[in-house]
Amino acid sequence: MERNRTETRLSRRSVLKAASALSAGAAMAFMGPWKFNRVHAAASDRPITIGLTSDASGQYANSGASDRRGMLMAIAEFNDRGGVLGRKVETVHIDTETTPATGSRVAERLITRHECAFLVGAVSSGVANAISQVAQKYGTVYLNTNSSSPTESGKNCHRVKFVWDGNGTNFAQAAVNNAISTYGTKWLLLTNDYVWGHNTSAATRMLVEEFGGEIIDEILVPQGTRDFSSMLLKVQQAAPQVVAAAVGGDDQKAMRQQVAQLGLGDSMAWINNQQDWPDVYGLPLDNLFGVFGTTWYWKLDLPGVAEFVQRYQAAYPDTRMRVPGNVFYNGYMATRELLAAVERAGSTNNRMVIRELEGLKVSAADRMQHDDAYMNPATHQMQQTIYLATANHGTEESDDMFRILSQSAPDQVRDAAADAACSMESLDDTPTYEM
Amino acid sequence: MTKRVSSAGRWLPREMAVLLVALATLPLWIEPVGLYQYLGVEIAIWMIYGLGFNLLLGYSGLPSFGHGAFFGIGAYAFGLFQLWAFESLWLGILCAVFAAFVAGAVVACFLSHRRGIYFALMTIAFGQVFWFIAIKWHAVTGGEDGLLNIPRPALDVGLASAGLESNTALYCFVLAVLAAVLVLLWRLVHSPFGKVLQAIRQNEARARFVGYNVWMFKWTVFSLSAAIAGLAGSLFSMAQQSAYPDVISLHASGIIVMMTLIGGGFVSFWGPVIGVTVYFLARDVLGTLTETWLLWFGLMFVVAVLFKPEGIAGAWQEHVGAASGRSRARRALAGLLSTGRD
Amino acid sequence: MTHVLPHLLNGLSLGLLFALIALGFMLIVGVMELINLAHGSLFALGAYFAMVIVAPDVAWLGAAGEAWLALPLSVRYVLAILVAPLLVAVVGMGLELCMRRTYGRKAEYGLLLTFGAALVIEETIRLVWGPSERYLQVPQAISGAFLFAGLVYSKYKLFAALFAMAAIALVWLLLERTPYGAIIKAGAHDSEMVRALGINLTRLRLLVFGLGAGLAGFAGIVLTPIWGLRPHVGIDAVIPAFLIIVLGGVGSFWGAVIGGILVGLAVGVTGAYAAEWSLLSMYLLLIAVVTVRARGLLGKKSALEA
Repeated sequence: MERNRTETRLSRRSVLKAASALSAGAAMAFMGPWKFNRVHAAASDRPITIGLTSDASGQYANSGASDRRGMLMAIAEFNDRGGVLGRKVETVHIDTETTPATGSRVAERLITRHECAFLVGAVSSGVANAISQVAQKYGTVYLNTNSSSPTESGKNCHRVKFVWDGNGTNFAQAAVNNAISTYGTKWLLLTNDYVWGHNTSAATRMLVEEFGGEIIDEILVPQGTRDFSSMLLKVQQAAPQVVAAAVGGDDQKAMRQQVAQLGLGDSMAWINNQQDWPDVYGLPLDNLFGVFGTTWYWKLDLPGVAEFVQRYQAAYPDTRMRVPGNVFYNGYMATRELLAAVERAGSTNNRMVIRELEGLKVSAADRMQHDDAYMNPATHQMQQTIYLATANHGTEESDDMFRILSQSAPDQVRDAAADAACSMESLDDTPTYEM
Repeated sequence: MTKRVSSAGRWLPREMAVLLVALATLPLWIEPVGLYQYLGVEIAIWMIYGLGFNLLLGYSGLPSFGHGAFFGIGAYAFGLFQLWAFESLWLGILCAVFAAFVAGAVVACFLSHRRGIYFALMTIAFGQVFWFIAIKWHAVTGGEDGLLNIPRPALDVGLASAGLESNTALYCFVLAVLAAVLVLLWRLVHSPFGKVLQAIRQNEARARFVGYNVWMFKWTVFSLSAAIAGLAGSLFSMAQQSAYPDVISLHASGIIVMMTLIGGGFVSFWGPVIGVTVYFLARDVLGTLTETWLLWFGLMFVVAVLFKPEGIAGAWQEHVGAASGRSRARRALAGLLSTGRD
Repeated sequence: MTHVLPHLLNGLSLGLLFALIALGFMLIVGVMELINLAHGSLFALGAYFAMVIVAPDVAWLGAAGEAWLALPLSVRYVLAILVAPLLVAVVGMGLELCMRRTYGRKAEYGLLLTFGAALVIEETIRLVWGPSERYLQVPQAISGAFLFAGLVYSKYKLFAALFAMAAIALVWLLLERTPYGAIIKAGAHDSEMVRALGINLTRLRLLVFGLGAGLAGFAGIVLTPIWGLRPHVGIDAVIPAFLIIVLGGVGSFWGAVIGGILVGLAVGVTGAYAAEWSLLSMYLLLIAVVTVRARGLLGKKSALEA
């Protein structure tokens, strides 16, 4: 992270100055003051602009749309109450195309051209990394709503980035101990051969060994695999008691279809990572095999949930997805907490907002989860309740796809490795601005 | 197909001066017209990439559909040099150009006896191999997350040193590189070497009968084009401060072909310059207006291929050709777009 | 050996599916000297058409839709597998009509037109059917699993391999046992001669493109229950397709079939013993073959090279 320090020195203001210097032909360009380098008239009539960086095309287009609906609903609720600090909240959305290189450009554009005060949105960790790097350079607060890679709040953490989803390690923590005592100690890992897969399976392996289980084999599945038959034959030949799968994206969609075909979901215990609601909504129930994680479900038996679902349905009467899921929930919660933090800080000054978010605590009632949640100031990841679920067979209601099996409190599923892996830029090294 | 224009044989054309002046003043007007400096950086980088690519496609008639590989190799090589060795602008760029050149030279050994569609098929296959390596070899490349936190080393020219952290400073540097590439390529395509390439494009067999070692020419131009792509890639990794595998994908490789042709790479030296500008501006403007911008862009592209396959430069030449002699200014502009071929 | 055998058989069935994917691509590149980059989008389009035929949106069709849905799934499925490829063939023919403007120009223009068409078809799919994951219902009779020698296999996979064999056999019959096949093959080698003999080359190209597109659509329907269905599924089909064509030799029917089976075996066997290399294996196979045999396994000196 040492390298990042050097980048934080220059910012939009200096860029503008450099441009004007060019015209003047003078050498006054690279002069301070750096500490307070972007101030725009924070007049109460000027709207606050939020840049929405969700994917509208590519692999995560569908989740991106759901994510964005969540953000927009939160923003609409604030605007209905008269805005934030008396200012209206406006949004600009540009497609990040599920492509990191596009993410960089979009972030540059939103920050320098649209003068966005905050950026919100991500599903793919690659895009999230790209955006957060640019955001850190300018000091712009960025909410990573839905990327669940452990590196997001570990190796690739940033002072300006806040992570709202549970990560692979959280879900493994919630599942492993339980599964060893319920299903047995002979485990096989089915791991997508890329960074997210390796991180998640490493967390699972550590926990399995800690609780006295044994990993009999690990099969690495290349990213882009569409036919899993040879790997599934191999799994059968190894005959494990539990298969822990860390397979994501389109690979996972192909795999679950093939596991369902074979009925393997019933013949051995499967532990899956998080299943995002937009990825499974509307599919036949046998696509949901084994046990999987989620941070929220629309039929949680908690006060406020039913009313939240109604608000969703009123706001989005035409979407194919008739009930909100975890991706929508994260987009909504992140945006709502950001705007609330701005109100508490009484300013859009990024350092004040960062401090507010670092100290964020949300009651269980406000989160519509079973436990109080809080932001870990060391990693900037939201510490929240993690649920385990399975397919809900035998119900008439087709949207009621999950059966919640258990819930774990934030501290039971804490990603301890993240604290060690994350070393953030200091607040002083992060450029400041007020929009 | 094209007219001989007086400026073609000149050591440097005045069009180049016009272009460079327009680009040099860009930091002054890009924000007032509602765009942003970073876009200028990307456009200038992709112009370098497109110009090098058109050496293959437009001048030699060799359609490479896997050129993203060399752009990507340049980006990774630059990043790895900064992260593993030490921070150095010149050595990093040198390393990137060399890596892309070597990769291009090896691939060219498999390709140089091929032509047309068969050539295209093989470039796609090799592009996929490199894409796969970038994803698979994550200990080195960072896998699908890419290489992150690549620094922008300071520009060190012996006595003085200037930081490139701001996008404007980086833009100025990229522009200087672009100017050098423009001069180099302009001289190259008007050299005897360039004439042989065009002869190969028009009739490979005849070029061979005349006594040219066609294989050697194709090998050289492919390696050179790969090296220029690597140069552009190294600048791109500086702009993004990261290197990602996506630039190697078939889709990204197809996009550079698309840009070069839409601009009119087949009929004009300036084709890629026009094509890159149009693509980036269209994406930026359409992208904010509609989420289905790719559909509209695809339709525009199909229509262009069907009705104006010579691209924007070709359309302009025709237009001006029809109205020739009417005005001096127009003729000057016609010259601007058609000086690439003679 | 008992451990290897299931993987070899699995690789073989996988190979037949790969050959099926490459079949339509092979016809078009062989006869028309055109790399059809829209192959993958047509593949996806076939699957979406089939999905609509099997389970149409009742809200749109009203009572007729209700009546249609009341029919057994197997009837609807059989109709889908027959009609959807025809619809894709029509789309393909439309594309060929556009393509005519590029004939006589550089080959790259045809390639670019299909690249653009691929973008347009994929984005249209996204617009019409949404970006989310969809699925194609399959009759009970050909889905589920069966037990063989202690291991569970997918019944559908077996039927998919049979579908692939049927398609391969039909294309072979067309090429080898009908006068049209002779013309197609002749057209691939010497279009001047074919025209001189008074054969309508324009119609030949239209039909070949339609057939190639229809086969792409058919492959999409067969593969969807295995791969799943999403707007960008086509990219998964087009890349193996041209890989197999280069491997087998451009314009060679048996080259495509053998190339497909070899790729299937390579992917299947590495999938079991070194899974992380399973996808790379097809590229390595390609480079190994092409290094030794520059024109692929069964490639002859082709008109495309001149």
